[in-house]
Parts: sequence; structure tokens; C-alpha cells
Amino acid sequence: MNNLILTEVLDTALDIQKAYDFVANSANGAVNSFVGIVRNNHEGKSVTGLTYDLHTTLAKKAFDDICQKALELWPETKYYVAHYHGELSVGGISIIIAVSSPHRAESFEACRYIIEEIKTKAPVWKQEHYIDRKSEWLPGHSLNG
Amino acid sequence: MSELSISLKLFGSFRKFGQVLNLRVPTGSTILTVKEKISKTIDGQESELVFDSVLADNDAILPDTHILNEDIKLSILPPVCGG
Repeated sequence: MNNLILTEVLDTALDIQKAYDFVANSANGAVNSFVGIVRNNHEGKSVTGLTYDLHTTLAKKAFDDICQKALELWPETKYYVAHYHGELSVGGISIIIAVSSPHRAESFEACRYIIEEIKTKAPVWKQEHYIDRKSEWLPGHSLNG
Repeated sequence: MSELSISLKLFGSFRKFGQVLNLRVPTGSTILTVKEKISKTIDGQESELVFDSVLADNDAILPDTHILNEDIKLSILPPVCGG
């Protein structure tokens, strides 16, 4: 998008080093990151993995828009967002967000902002797979209004 | 009455109905009318989910009042839960 924002939808393993390398900046003294990982349980059920479904074009556009808005809220910040598309086993990385900023406070705030916005605004869906071989699409936030 | 064709790409929990749903609606139909058509086409299953979802072209979400005048490719986006 520009040299301050890089967003990706990938069907290959997400790379934390790549996130760090993109946001690292000699003028910024803080890097904050969020890594989403598939866990082995949900509401008492044993989970074996997740399938992530995305509308690739609109998801990337949503990531770009969210980062752009964050950049307006916290100037002098830099952003990397990557979301996985496809099946992941327990322990797999589903999302990486990295933010750099001159000082620590805005990097924490901006990183939290990005993940919360993605959860409610980006066209991404999760299908959980359970140990009994059943699967279920998880409920979410309507994009209506 | 003339009709237009809609190729509707399915996501998330709608994938159980296939990858794409092909629909025909009267020219000048609104997105809300298309949602009603989708609900009927899938025999009322997930009707609540259809109306809780949004329809989008490849650029943006289209409001329920948006009027369609020509053949179009759309996507139905159910409630989201990324991350």
C-alpha cells in the first residue's frame, strides 16, 4: 500500500521475522506484535484445527483501510498485517500484526486497535474442527451497518 | 419483464451450499430482493443468516437499497470472526 503499511493474505506459513523487519525503523523505539495461534479447545470442545476462509480481495482492502485509519490516529507508526487462508492445525499461526512507533504507548494501543477492528470488519470466517471429526463455522459480527 | 443474472460466491457457513449460486432476478431489483431470492433458493435454510449477511461486489459492500440493472458477480459475506 505504501512504505508505512504492508498487508497480506497468505496460504503459506506466516513469518514473524518478516513482520518485524517491515516495521523496524530507526526513528521508532518500540515494536509491538500480536500473534494469533490456533488453540486446542473452545467452549469445552477439543479442537484439532481451524479452516480460515477469506474474501481475499475485500479482506486485504479491509486490512489496508484499518491500518490507514490507525495511522491517522497514531501518526509516525508503521504496520504489518498478515492473515492465513486455509487449514491450520493446533499451534498454527493465523494472524500476525506488528506495529512500530516512536514510543511504547502508541504501539500497544495501535496493535490492540488493529486486531479488534479486524475481528469485526474484515471478511474472514473460521471453521473449527473437533476431535470427533465434526466441524462448525463460528458465529461472528454482522457487517450490516 | 427483463431479468439479470447473478453469480453469487459463497463464503463461510454458506459454503455448505456450494461455491457459487447462480440466480436470476428482475432487472431493477434491490440487494434486499436478492437476499429474499437467496433465502428462497436455499429453501429457507439459514434465512436469518442471509439477512444478517451483506452482499458485496469485488470493491465494496452494497447496501440493501442498491439497485441492480445488469448481470453481476456478487459475494455473500456472513458475520465475520477473523484473527
